[in-house]
Amino acid sequence: MSRPLEGIRVVELGTFVSAPYCGKLFAGYGAEVIKVEPPGGDIARAHGPFPGNKPDPEASALFLYLNTGKRSVVLDPRDPGQREALLRLVETADVLVENYRPADLRALGLDYATLSARNRRLVMVSITPFGQTGPYADFRGNNLVAFAMGGQMYITGTLEGGPLKNGGYQADYQGGLNAFSAGMLALLAAERDGTGQHVDISVQRCMAPILEASIPYYCYLGQWNGIRRGNHMASFIGIYPCADGHIGIHLMPRNWKPFLDVIGRPDLAEDPRFATQADRVAHNDELMAELYAWAATETKHDLYRRAGAGRAPVAFVHTMADLLESPQLNARGFLQRIDHPVAGEAVYPGPPWWMGPGDWDTGRAPLLGEHTEEVLGGLPR
Amino acid sequence: MSRAPLDGIRVVDLTMVWAGPMGTRLLGDYGAEVIKVESPRQWDLLRALGLIPRDVPRWYNRSAYFNHNNRNKYAISLDLGHPLGRQAVLDLCAKSDILVENYRSDVMDNLGLSYETVRAVNPRLIYVSMPGHGKSGPEKDYVAYGSNVEQLAGLVSISGYEDGEPMKTGFSYGDPMAGTALVGAVAVALRKRSRTGEGCYVELAQRENLTMFVGELLVGYCLTGELPRPMGNRHPRIAPHNVYRCAGDDRWVAIACETDDQFRALCTVMRRPELAEDPRFIDAVARKQHEEELDREVAAWTAQRGHYEAMYILQRAGVPAGAVLTTPELVADPHLRATGAWVEHTHPDAGTWEMEAPPWVLSRTPGHIRLPAPGFAEHNDWVFRDVLGYDEKRISELYGASVAADAPDESLHR
Repeated sequence: MSRPLEGIRVVELGTFVSAPYCGKLFAGYGAEVIKVEPPGGDIARAHGPFPGNKPDPEASALFLYLNTGKRSVVLDPRDPGQREALLRLVETADVLVENYRPADLRALGLDYATLSARNRRLVMVSITPFGQTGPYADFRGNNLVAFAMGGQMYITGTLEGGPLKNGGYQADYQGGLNAFSAGMLALLAAERDGTGQHVDISVQRCMAPILEASIPYYCYLGQWNGIRRGNHMASFIGIYPCADGHIGIHLMPRNWKPFLDVIGRPDLAEDPRFATQADRVAHNDELMAELYAWAATETKHDLYRRAGAGRAPVAFVHTMADLLESPQLNARGFLQRIDHPVAGEAVYPGPPWWMGPGDWDTGRAPLLGEHTEEVLGGLPR
Repeated sequence: MSRAPLDGIRVVDLTMVWAGPMGTRLLGDYGAEVIKVESPRQWDLLRALGLIPRDVPRWYNRSAYFNHNNRNKYAISLDLGHPLGRQAVLDLCAKSDILVENYRSDVMDNLGLSYETVRAVNPRLIYVSMPGHGKSGPEKDYVAYGSNVEQLAGLVSISGYEDGEPMKTGFSYGDPMAGTALVGAVAVALRKRSRTGEGCYVELAQRENLTMFVGELLVGYCLTGELPRPMGNRHPRIAPHNVYRCAGDDRWVAIACETDDQFRALCTVMRRPELAEDPRFIDAVARKQHEEELDREVAAWTAQRGHYEAMYILQRAGVPAGAVLTTPELVADPHLRATGAWVEHTHPDAGTWEMEAPPWVLSRTPGHIRLPAPGFAEHNDWVFRDVLGYDEKRISELYGASVAADAPDESLHR
């Protein structure tokens, strides 16, 4: 069955996480994604983790996950002949996704002005920490720097522990997802109008406005109370250790009664200190002490099932092992086994959203340069 | 001027709170005509979370939290639980391209507004659901709010200080990621429609969307059998990679050296060139091994500088560094200001202030703020009369049965 993006050719000049994640989504929904790697390969190939902790450019989990369903072509854009081959490839593309520093891309002669002159239908999607213009455009950035400059780091962690990034490469993934959504809009416009454009994704600009109500409250009311609150927004929104892991509760006012039923503490419903949300805020520390004592007696799977049946917003902190065993994710077919000739079989999550049978499909990640001859040989002469 | 990418696309927006409204607002930013539907008795909670005193006239139209996430939309009131309200929303679906809902998984079916029902009135409609867990599976009816999603997605288990307990994000992270993904999902579905001539059902389960953001760790666990652990601000292979305290109250700078050249530049800036030759720090492997000592050296330098100052000095030397910015600093940041990330905005009830511009810069078809966020039921008249073609009698029936109203039942969110 044909997938929604069939007939679209994407050239990815992507390194590490952000542009590769964008390219992965294009590939999953049916576009032909040609990943152009420098002679040593995408640096994600050197990253790992590796089976048996043995570095191998064909067995890095980071690379394998982010490059499913793509084809790999090796070209060195610093070599004039190979740069020309790259330009001929771009002439055949609908979309180019890249995450070079703007100055570096200009130095390679691969800026938007050059590429659009060769292909006016081209949608060029650029993902950088700070965007293509402005005082920081050529700053050096990465996931950590973007996390700091996007405002999400300041509000994460505890006051005493200092600002904290979230695990993995969250700023890079945010860049990749924003780029896919924006790039798809530009692709729709290009298919309608016959003209492409340059899509400029600044990770900082994507991250800064989404700090819950923080920007609206500050801009409109001049109010800001941005301290780091660790694991508790309040006693009733936060994470508690349980007997075999950690659980999280997120109780809105209407969830209080169902929650007390689930944990078997109707007595707390009668307790005047905790009668209303305002009372619970006023007696935050006392309630937190109750919840710490209670949570320590619970096991995560049992509590999660009881809370689900009782419609109380309680979840448990899923480790990677918990994800693999999740009855929900397995029942939905979200965990897909993909084999790889070097790394072997592993479980890959996907898709990010479901559209219809067969609309998402990913093959394994390509070997370095696996499709160089085939792709370059197929270019119009 | 070029037509916006979503020009001519009409969206029926049944979403509330954050994930859904942020996503449909992005659709509006890039040209869609978004019609938000609220019940007079179940209206958007964000209208009540504006910190506006309840004695202010139309306080529910002045919530900045609501107004940032609902600009570029129209709004009508309809009680979908009433047969007249259900019929009106079906009539609207017949004239629309997209429907988006983020109710718990059973609500739309219970309202008699399942995909099959809506498809029967408009087979070209794209129907998007944004449930927490999905519409199928043993946990589909479990309740999961903001902070639960990241716990279910595996992200919390790998976040936290080194060897500390798992740590939540500072906000309901899964919500804006689902809202951002909504645009991609809708755009892919529109392309599918242009190929098949038919709409489709799109299901965006928020926990699955966010699980994609830790996928490499799931693959890594399968390949190695080792559970990843929180590692603070550090990186598995490179050092220095951390935040360092600066002069001032709770001010910090992030520094991450990815190459030996960048590390040498850092040592030069710190006027400690001998560190670059020190065997403890001679390459990435050695630096990672002696990371604690290295972090102390760097922190001694940053402690004498402001966070912006440290960032500028380091960036000039080619070292990846960034000030850890607070919300007031983000709004004042010279780069965000110079690139137009914040724009002045005027709303008839709320007045004038600054809000975020559309986030993505599309050179030929830029996003625009065309409309301030709608007041409650502000566009009833236009939608009922001009979009749906209802006559006076039909409209007074809606009001008479309290299916539509011009003001919300304030007792819901007093």
